[in-house]
Amino acid sequence: MLNSKISRRQILKTGVAATTALAAPAIFSPAYAASGTVNVWTYANFLPDSFKEEFQKDTGIQIRERLVDDQGKEFNLLAAEAGQPTADIVTIAGHRFRQFIDSELIAPLDIGRLSNWSRVNKVYSEADWTIVDGKKWGVPILAGAEVMAYNTDIVTPEEARSWDILFGEKYAGQTAYILQDIMSIVMLYLGYDGNMIGYDEAKAAEAVAAAKAFLIERKPRVRKYYDAGAEFQQMLINQDIVVGHAWSGPVSKLIMDGFPAAMTIPKEGSYGFVYNYNVVNNGPNADNAYILLDALLAHPEIGANMTKASGFISTFEGSAEFLSDIEKAAASFTQEELDALQFFRADNNKLKYDLVDPAVEEIKAA
Amino acid sequence: MPPQEEYSTGSRSFWSWLATSKVYQSVSASLLGTKKRRLVLLAAVPIIWAIVANLGPLFKMLDISFYDAYPLSKGREATYTIAAWREFFVTPVYYIPFFRTLIFSGILTFATLVLVYPVAYFLARHVPKSRQMLFLLLVLIPFWVGEIIRTYAIMILLGNNGAINIALKFLGIIDRPIPFMYTSFSLGIGIVYLVSLYMLLPLYSALEKIPTNMNEAAADLGAGPWRRFWRITLPLSKDGIASGCVLVFLIATGFYATPVILGGPSSTMFAESIANTFNVAADRWPTGAAFSSIMLITTLTLAAVFLKIMGRRGKGYL
Repeated sequence: MLNSKISRRQILKTGVAATTALAAPAIFSPAYAASGTVNVWTYANFLPDSFKEEFQKDTGIQIRERLVDDQGKEFNLLAAEAGQPTADIVTIAGHRFRQFIDSELIAPLDIGRLSNWSRVNKVYSEADWTIVDGKKWGVPILAGAEVMAYNTDIVTPEEARSWDILFGEKYAGQTAYILQDIMSIVMLYLGYDGNMIGYDEAKAAEAVAAAKAFLIERKPRVRKYYDAGAEFQQMLINQDIVVGHAWSGPVSKLIMDGFPAAMTIPKEGSYGFVYNYNVVNNGPNADNAYILLDALLAHPEIGANMTKASGFISTFEGSAEFLSDIEKAAASFTQEELDALQFFRADNNKLKYDLVDPAVEEIKAA
Repeated sequence: MPPQEEYSTGSRSFWSWLATSKVYQSVSASLLGTKKRRLVLLAAVPIIWAIVANLGPLFKMLDISFYDAYPLSKGREATYTIAAWREFFVTPVYYIPFFRTLIFSGILTFATLVLVYPVAYFLARHVPKSRQMLFLLLVLIPFWVGEIIRTYAIMILLGNNGAINIALKFLGIIDRPIPFMYTSFSLGIGIVYLVSLYMLLPLYSALEKIPTNMNEAAADLGAGPWRRFWRITLPLSKDGIASGCVLVFLIATGFYATPVILGGPSSTMFAESIANTFNVAADRWPTGAAFSSIMLITTLTLAAVFLKIMGRRGKGYL
C-alpha cells in the first residue's frame, strides 16, 4: 500500500521520461526521408520485382513500396499528411489529376529531368489530358479499360457483345460489378454521357437518377458489388460469377495465366483510363523520384514486364515486342472494340461525383 | 564500459558487474529507491499508453466529427459545426445499414450464444479438470490466425467451388452449386465463427465456477436434468452470458472486412457506409467520424441497457 504522497515534480519527471520514450521514433530521422530511398505508393504488381531488384542494385536507392487499392484513399492519406508527405511518387489515373492538383498534393513534371521521356508512346505523352493549367503532370505508365469479362466455358462471345447480359435474367446471381464505376457505364448504356461533358446540374441529376433507378431495379440479379481486381479474379476462378464488369488488367492477368476467360468492350461503349506515376509536392526524396522514373522508361522491356505483372497495357514505345502472342492477345482489343472506347474525363468530376457518391450509398442501402 | 574480459569471462558475469557498478546503483536508487517511485515508474508508461493509444484516437475522432471539412486542403482552416452529425439524421438512406447492423448483430449474438453455450458447458462440466486446459487450447487453435485469414477460410468452405458444395455434389444431393457466398447467410456464418471465442471464454469461466454440489443437492431433492439446468446452471451462468453477449455484440457491430469479403449486395453494414466516407477523394472525414461516434454511442447504450436488464450493471467482466 502506498502511504506517502507523490510529488508534482516526480509526476512531471516521470511523464517527461515516458513521453520521450514514446516520441523517440519521431525524434530520430524518419526512414522515409533517408537519402538512399524513394517512397512509391502504387497498385499491386505495377512495379515488377525484376526492375526493383536491378534498380536497387544499380543505384543503391531502396524502393519503399506502399500498396494502394483506391485513389480516393490515396488522396485522403496524402492530404492527411498536410504538406509533409511520406511519399515521393503516387499513382493517379489521368482523369483524377485535378483533385490532387487543386489540393497541391502533386508537383508538375519536369520533363527536362527525364532523359528517356521520348520512350513514352506519343498517344499518351502528348495527350491533352496530361496537361492541366498549362503544365505537364505525371508519367503515363499503364493503360486500361472498364470491360465486361466472362467465363468462356459458359458465356459466348456473341452474348458478350452487349452489356445486356450483365443486367439480364439469364445470368442472374452470377454477375458482379464495381458500383462506383458501373454508374458511368450505365449512364452510357442508357444514352447519357458518363463524363457529363457540358451537362448542367439538372441534366447531370437526371442521368444519375436514371442510372440509380436502373441499378436498384436490377439489384436482385447481382451477386456482388466488389472493390478490388483481385476479388473479381477470385470470384471468376471460384465460379461464383460467370460474367461481370471489371478493370482490364486483372482480367488480362487471368487470361495470361490460362484461365478460360475473355474480355470485351461491349457495343454500347465503355471508358478507358491511364495510370501515371506522379511526383509528390514537397516529397522527401524528389531527386530519387526522378531517378526512378527515368530508369523505368529506360527500356521497353520494363514496360512489357509491367504488363506481364499487372495485366494492363504498357504505354512505353516498343514494349509489345517483348510480349508473347498470348500476352499480346490478353492485353489488347479489336478495332471495333476500341471504337466503342472513350477515355474518362475530369472536366465535370465535381458535379458528377457529388451526385454519384450519394447515389452509390442509396443503391447499397436499397 | 569495462573491457570485455572483465565481465564476460572468468567468474565475474556482466550482471554481477552491473549490480556493483556505482552508476547503476545511483540510477537505481534515484529511480527505484522508494515504493512510491517504483509505483510511479511502473504506472506511468501504461497510463500514458492507455490514454494515447486508446482514448487519444477516440477523442480525435470526436473532434474531427465537428469539423466542416477534413483532411484540409492547403491554406484552409477548419471551422466547428454539427453538420456531419446532422447529415445522419436528415439522410434516411443511412438508416437501413445502421439498423440492419444493429438487428443483424443482435441476432448473431443470440445465435452465437445458442451455439457456444453447449460447448462451454461440456468443457466446464464434463471434461475432467486436468484436461480442460488442453481442450480449451484445441478450441482456441483457429484463433491463433488473423481475422482475414479465417474469413477467407469461410470463403473456401462456402464458395461455389467450396468444400460444402463439392461434398453435396459428390453425394449426389445437388447437381448445381448452392450460392452460399455473398449472402446474409455467409456473412452470418463468418461473424459467428469469428466471435465465438469471445462468447466461449466468459461462459466457460462462469460455468466452471458453479459448485457441483448444488446440482447434486437439487438432484437429491428430486429435480430432473432440465429443471436443474433452468433453475441452477442457467441463472448461475448469467454473468458469463451477459459478458459474452456484450462483447460479441460490440465486436459484431464494428466488423468491416468480413462484411466486405463475405457479404452481398443486400447485406451492406454500417461500417461499410462509414468506410465509404473515408475512401472517396474528398474532405468527408467529419461525416465518417460523426457516423462512427453515433454507432459507438448507440452500441454502448444498448449494451448498458442489456446489462441493466441482466442485473449486471457495473459488475462482471466489463
